[in-house]
Amino acid sequence: MPDPSKIRFLVVDDFSTMRRIVRNLLKELGYSQVEEAEDGAVALQKLKGGGFDFVVSDWNMPNMDGLQLLQAVRADPTLKHLPVLMITAEAKKENIIAAAQSGASGYIVKPFTAGTLNDKLVKIFEKLEQSPA
Amino acid sequence: MAKPIKFDEFNDNEDLQALFDSIAAGSELPMHATKPPEPVIDASGDSDDLQALFDSIAAGSEVPMRATKPPEPVIAASGDSDDLQALFDSVSAQVEESKVAAPAAAGPGGSDDTSGVFSSLGQMTRELHDGLREIGHDEALGEAARRMPDARQRLSYIVKMTEQAASRALNAIEIAKPMQEAMQSKSEALGKRWGKVFANQISAEDFKVLAADTQAFLNDIPRQTRATNEQLTEIMMAQDFQDLTGQVIKKVVDLVQNLETQLLHVLFEAMPPDMNVEPPAGLLNGPVINADGRTDVVNSQRQVDDLLESLGF
Repeated sequence: MPDPSKIRFLVVDDFSTMRRIVRNLLKELGYSQVEEAEDGAVALQKLKGGGFDFVVSDWNMPNMDGLQLLQAVRADPTLKHLPVLMITAEAKKENIIAAAQSGASGYIVKPFTAGTLNDKLVKIFEKLEQSPA
Repeated sequence: MAKPIKFDEFNDNEDLQALFDSIAAGSELPMHATKPPEPVIDASGDSDDLQALFDSIAAGSEVPMRATKPPEPVIAASGDSDDLQALFDSVSAQVEESKVAAPAAAGPGGSDDTSGVFSSLGQMTRELHDGLREIGHDEALGEAARRMPDARQRLSYIVKMTEQAASRALNAIEIAKPMQEAMQSKSEALGKRWGKVFANQISAEDFKVLAADTQAFLNDIPRQTRATNEQLTEIMMAQDFQDLTGQVIKKVVDLVQNLETQLLHVLFEAMPPDMNVEPPAGLLNGPVINADGRTDVVNSQRQVDDLLESLGF
């Protein structure tokens, strides 16, 4: 498991309250490097600028929604390796399937607990370590 | 040229306001030179298609969905502006034509469907307009329509209140947490030192220092706990929004129900018998309010995980 304090997160959600909550939860889990974006378009721009290791994103956002962001990330050769964890209120099975098929690394449905967030993060890091370089 | 779409103090688009006013009062329709709407969701949450529809009706344009050139406004004394009258007449003519011709198959997309929908909607609006005036109901609907900006204002208020409450709570938490963490680590450190005392590993000198440190720590605890309690009280007080937003929500629900009842009445009368009333499916539905009887949504993180596992993810 990599050093948590070295991992650079981008948290994407149009509600500042939610971004703040996720930031605080990540901090509690030892992940202190967190930046924010209020929609998919801003997020993609920041990601393309480089320097991020992990994306945590909402789905329902203006300008570019979470699914579109995910697809854009997976389509970009410099970004496709990034883990993308969806945290969203969208609870239709269609949504979950669409996210999985588009390459989401995990799916957390709101409201969620700190424990769930931790579990999914650990699971994603484990997978990253197992996958071939 | 055309001026951009403006929002008044209630966040109501001028053209939307004009539409409501004209339905309510049956009076002259204030005309604006409108340009085709930007392809974004506007501040009131109207989709760009809905906005375009209202804009084109308000501007008296004959082009469905994307108004291009609004005509010169002519205000008649009778109550309907010439443009509104012309719009309704042209829509009626279209509807008559489409009734005579073979009806197009219902399906998504395609310009045939959009102009068909526009015609039907225009026709319904006309019937609503006339029917309401005839039965004197325009007063009631007008009242409801006039209260729409008020509803928007109320909903904005709710957003503001809940945001403030969340902010207050989070601020209090960000103050209290470090205090708790400091107390925790200090007490752990002292505890370790006391452990050494009971294991006979500490000198007399160090023991005196430890005793003094411990006393200082104990004396400071009331201050710390009082400060934390203050933050907890602040969090409790921040929940007061619930009472206020609850009242406001109730008012908006009543308003919307009233409006819906009146519109539904007219809508069902004007609806073609074979019209499909399925809501459009989509992936942007927001949180599930009521999952009862639904098989297309999940109810817990557990179900999310099970679904993904069953698909091999």
